[in-house]
Amino acid sequence: MKKQKAKGPLAIKTLIFGALSGFLYYLVFSNEEWVTTTYTMGGWHTIYPVGTALVFSFVHGTFASNLLSLLGIEAKSSH
Amino acid sequence: MKKLFMFFILALGFVFIVNTAWAGGGGGPPKNMLKGVFVKVNDDRTADFKVDGTGEIKHLVLTEQVDIKEIPLERKVLVSLITEEKTHKITNKVKSVSIMFMDLTPSKIIALLVVGLIGGLLSGFIGSGGAFVLTPSMMSLGVPGAVAVASNMCHKFPKAMVGAYKRWKYGQADIKLGLFMAATAIIGVQIGIQIQKYILNHWGNAGSNLYVSLMFVIVLVVVGIYVFLDAYKLAKGGKEAETTKIAKKLQSINLPPMIHFKTAGIKISVWFTIPVGVATGMLAATIAVGGFIGVPGLIYVIGASAMVASATELVIAFVMGMWGSIQWGLSGLIDIRLTLLILAASLIGVQLGALGTTYVKDYMIKIVMGAVMLIVAVSRGAKIPGYLADLGLRAPLDPGTASLLNSVSFWALVAALGTAGIIISAAMIRGMLQARQGTN
Repeated sequence: MKKQKAKGPLAIKTLIFGALSGFLYYLVFSNEEWVTTTYTMGGWHTIYPVGTALVFSFVHGTFASNLLSLLGIEAKSSH
Repeated sequence: MKKLFMFFILALGFVFIVNTAWAGGGGGPPKNMLKGVFVKVNDDRTADFKVDGTGEIKHLVLTEQVDIKEIPLERKVLVSLITEEKTHKITNKVKSVSIMFMDLTPSKIIALLVVGLIGGLLSGFIGSGGAFVLTPSMMSLGVPGAVAVASNMCHKFPKAMVGAYKRWKYGQADIKLGLFMAATAIIGVQIGIQIQKYILNHWGNAGSNLYVSLMFVIVLVVVGIYVFLDAYKLAKGGKEAETTKIAKKLQSINLPPMIHFKTAGIKISVWFTIPVGVATGMLAATIAVGGFIGVPGLIYVIGASAMVASATELVIAFVMGMWGSIQWGLSGLIDIRLTLLILAASLIGVQLGALGTTYVKDYMIKIVMGAVMLIVAVSRGAKIPGYLADLGLRAPLDPGTASLLNSVSFWALVAALGTAGIIISAAMIRGMLQARQGTN
């Protein structure tokens, strides 16, 4: 029962992070020209790819985590 | 004293990171490579090349190996220059030109997503993996080697971070042990790179390739068979894994500073963790998959369970992947589009793999690890005859055999990934069904 109660907010969270992640992907791929040029200038520009990877891992990672929970795929509880 | 020592080891690792990052050396791209755009190609097989970053215009000579018609103007390319055999001086003669950013077609995108998903699954489950198949896959899709390595590295650390976080939440990852190993692994990477440079200077590219493949095969076959046999025994006997004799012996030696790793439940002298860390780093610098020695090292030498070892490896992979990514980013070789496409699927895969470990017995991790190592060994082994021929140690291969060996090598990697994907999924589904029946 508890799990079912939590599904509503979880679905909203998944949707928000999914939309955010989708938007970020859209941003990168719709500006492909600028992104590929700027990100590969070398030197301090290394912040761009490393930072982007971190942001995506947080946003998309949270989305993926929520999505799996929503689908009912969760870790075995040890208790 | 103990804290001071720990601080010292971590600080040493950090100094190495900063040092190599600023020197731009380390695991970076080969020195005979130029990045930039062709401004003008002349009829006399010469060209003006604008180097990326500095804006310097270089006058290059195009060798017969390069097709003038295929040289794109005003498009970012990677140019590989010929190195003189005896002096190792880099000439201005162009050996090959490759376009840096391939056009992404739907089939290429799907291929990246699929490999990313299974690579992630493997990574979440055994602590490493994916990298050994992602780089060759990307290269076969037409990505230049250096860009493939760089983009792959940049996808490795966020994936490892997410995986490590999940497995830390399940109480499996020992962060302290991971950080410790990572700091010493970075020292190992430096040693590995020096060995590589030495071999490259003495025996050239072919020698270096042969060395990498031989190391790959020897380490993978020896360690792979050991892990696999151990897992087989455990699976057959249905017994729980025991700490090895070596690990027990090492843990009993009281050589200060002794450190207690809480999650792993181990108290061991720092001096014994260092060789495992260094070996992991050396292997990472040589074959790009340190985990193949890191995880077995943690299990059989340090005495951690397969569960804790594979989880802790993710912490190591995060630190080392981040360090590597900064390096490749400094040289400007990361194609973030590729990184993000792989991440799109691998962030799902890695969490699936991580939660999968909670449903299986400890030996299952060893079975997957052993199986993957042995199949990857076949893939690398198939490359050895070619490298021997390059060095003049055997007769040249006829084109038929060469292409057969190449496809054996590639498909073995695909098989490794496929096998792992199937074993993990099957074990996980079985575990989930059993757990569900148990609660009903």
